[in-house]
Amino acid sequence: MTKTVLTVDDSRTMRDMLMLALKDAGYRVVQAEDGVHGLEVLQAESPDIVITDINMPRMDGFGFIEGMRADPAFSAVPVLVLTTESDAAKKQRAREAGATGWIVKPFDPVRLVDAVRRVAA
Amino acid sequence: MSDDPFEAIKATFFQECEELLADLEGNLLTLESGSTDIEVINAVFRAVHSVKGGAGAFGLENLVRFAHVFETLMDELRSGRKPCDDPTVKTLLRASDVLADHVAAARGAGAAVDPVRSAGLVAELEALTYGGAAPVAAAEPEEDDFGFTPVAMDLGAFDAPAGLPDLPPLPDLAALAPLPDLSALAAAGGWKVVFRPHPRLYASANETGLLLRELARLGPTRVQMDDSGLPLLDALEPTDSHLIWTIELDGDASETEVREVFDFVEMDCDLSVTPLGDAAPVEAALAAVADEDDSDASALARAASSELDIAALLASVGAASTEAPAPVAAPVIAPAPEPVAPPPPVKPAPAPTAAAPVQTAPPAAAPVTIRVDLERVDRLINAVGELVIQQAMLAQRVTESGLARSSDIGLGLEDLELLTREIQDSVMAIRAQPVKSVFQRMPRLVREAAEATGKKVKLVTSGEDTEVDKTVIERLSDPITHMLRNAIDHGLEGPEERLAAGKPAEGTVRLAALHRSGRIVIEISDDGKGINRPRVKGIAVERGLIAEDAILSDDEIDNLIFLPGFSTATEVSDLSGRGVGMDVVRRSIQSLGGRISISSVPGKGSTFTLSLPLTLAVLDGMVVGAADQTLVAPLAAIVESLTPNEADIHYVGGVDPVLRFREAFVPLVDVAQVMGFRDDPTVLKGGVVMIVETESGQRAALLVDAIHGQRQVVIKSLESNYRHVEGVAAATILGDGRVALILDIDALVTAKRSRTPSRSDLQMAS
Repeated sequence: MTKTVLTVDDSRTMRDMLMLALKDAGYRVVQAEDGVHGLEVLQAESPDIVITDINMPRMDGFGFIEGMRADPAFSAVPVLVLTTESDAAKKQRAREAGATGWIVKPFDPVRLVDAVRRVAA
Repeated sequence: MSDDPFEAIKATFFQECEELLADLEGNLLTLESGSTDIEVINAVFRAVHSVKGGAGAFGLENLVRFAHVFETLMDELRSGRKPCDDPTVKTLLRASDVLADHVAAARGAGAAVDPVRSAGLVAELEALTYGGAAPVAAAEPEEDDFGFTPVAMDLGAFDAPAGLPDLPPLPDLAALAPLPDLSALAAAGGWKVVFRPHPRLYASANETGLLLRELARLGPTRVQMDDSGLPLLDALEPTDSHLIWTIELDGDASETEVREVFDFVEMDCDLSVTPLGDAAPVEAALAAVADEDDSDASALARAASSELDIAALLASVGAASTEAPAPVAAPVIAPAPEPVAPPPPVKPAPAPTAAAPVQTAPPAAAPVTIRVDLERVDRLINAVGELVIQQAMLAQRVTESGLARSSDIGLGLEDLELLTREIQDSVMAIRAQPVKSVFQRMPRLVREAAEATGKKVKLVTSGEDTEVDKTVIERLSDPITHMLRNAIDHGLEGPEERLAAGKPAEGTVRLAALHRSGRIVIEISDDGKGINRPRVKGIAVERGLIAEDAILSDDEIDNLIFLPGFSTATEVSDLSGRGVGMDVVRRSIQSLGGRISISSVPGKGSTFTLSLPLTLAVLDGMVVGAADQTLVAPLAAIVESLTPNEADIHYVGGVDPVLRFREAFVPLVDVAQVMGFRDDPTVLKGGVVMIVETESGQRAALLVDAIHGQRQVVIKSLESNYRHVEGVAAATILGDGRVALILDIDALVTAKRSRTPSRSDLQMAS
């Protein structure tokens, strides 16, 4: 069965790139533009995997993940964090918020899909 | 749109960059105006960050490098470690200009970035980031700590056919490792991995089963599970973690590859990876990594280990077998084989997978706009133009057939007319865009002009949301640019002069757009010194543009600057240059069917006012007749119409007729003769005269046989359908189906003037 990936990113370029790479790999992709929007789409689409950016207007990636984990329905949905910052502090913060893993931008489509596959049941 | 999806995304990136740069500038201007709103600073950070992120994906290294330095400073500002004061914001504004240059260069749309300017700003940004004292070199290690390495995206990978199931296991990790991995050499014998998850591992939605699946992709595995820590069922806390896993991995995977499997969870587990050949006992291995409660290690020693079939284990967590790892497409509800192991301690398979999303549900991120090929819109506009004409023809036929307006057909036609007009307006609205896109470019221009002239300038804009036809917008940019430069270069005084005149040192230039009576009006005003009328008049006399003794009103003097060949700059400045004078501005505005005027108050400043039609597709015209021909004169050019007295017509040099009009003489143009419809000289009897104003503000009288009335007509290009005809701007189709030519007033008057003695109209007008 086709799995649905929710991508949350305020950059249209990034959303398009994620869409292209993930669709090629056979995923269905739904998108959101920031954390608040992400939580809405989460409820509407119940995705199997979530990929989120960190720096976004309205609600950042940390807030989004915390909001998502607070809902029992989504506490076990894997979340990958997209970040150009590969530093430990950011990862740590994402982990504390409940992130499953991360993808360092700029990402290679192969590694992106690989990361998604690794956390997807 | 390109067929290559990667190119399409790149196009999207540059489009997004435009928006980001506009946002960036807008937010920086907000900061410049004194705001210290952290949200604004954050927004600036995000804009730069997004540019960098996208640029990194496309391997645009120069852009990435510059954006990175910019972003690093923004990070300092948003964290409050550095103050966001006025000098900093000024630097950021200039940095945003250079960032825009880098984007343009990366896009291949702009000239190469000025390396000196770019390097200068990098140095300035770094000085602000690391404190002015710290040399740039000292800053570099910090930058390394930041850990950002641009990696160009592998284009080829996008071409791979949905190839996930065939992917080689983690192919490029070793290749990407920065240093030669010694452990890779020692890996021939395989690895022994001991792994004890912490409860946190499960809280972040990681799963042991998936990690084991990953390991199995590296080579054949044998897995042992120690369940001795597992409490009795009634004491079992489902979110706790009680199991310890020992995996023996055969094959030639490197230690890096093995550890990479656990990199998401390395903080949430105890992990040891040792070469298989090592005789190190399990308990020793774990004791080495266990940070607490070594009783677990001894528990392991007592372990009643059970050998597990990895394939069965994987199946039990819903994944595919090791032989055919096809995780993406793997059915989630694979029937679990007979239990060969204690129930895996992983959390119950994620419920959301079972609660499958409705496939037909539309993505929630629905766009509120669509992008349409301009050609399609133009085709639609053209068709609507035809519709308008057809409707007018139908109306005329109905009238001719003698049907009453109150008849069913007459009433139906009336409705059709209303509907047609509504469709026309709606279609025109599609092409309409806010002038924001032009206005947004101006702050930078003003900054650069201010820098070049050493003046202090504040730009105030209003009415950015005013909408006008796209073609008009595109052609507005140059005139506005020129007039703004003119206002700064010639209008505003230097800071000292301003202070001496009791004005603030910083001059203000206003750029406003508004709708007025079906046209768009652009006003550019400054609070400078105003037009120096004696000087302007002196120059005009000097250049032979007016007679020395000409008596001109203030208004007429002000408008002299629009005459060809006039330039008030004594020395040619960098900004205005030579050749592009206000006459060029006026011509380009008039080619759009617009007018330009200036009003000025000495010592207080000047205001340029542009007035333009909202669209170039329709024209308000006066339908006139001349020698059996029906013609249309643009209404905007007509000042008034009258029936002339024969006594008011005089002949200059006995040949060229002029008309006495309000105590002035204006050249009289016989339209039928100039257009070649009639050879014999003007027959005045029964004729009507339209007083028109040409692009250069000169007046003329157009003689026609009759004026039929005012009408909105759809403009059809004559050039594209036939060829250019002197004196004719375009054509249209009238209600009776006949083609009518739209007069080019300027060309008509010029054609006439070229045959008159070279005396200026102004002299005659005076």
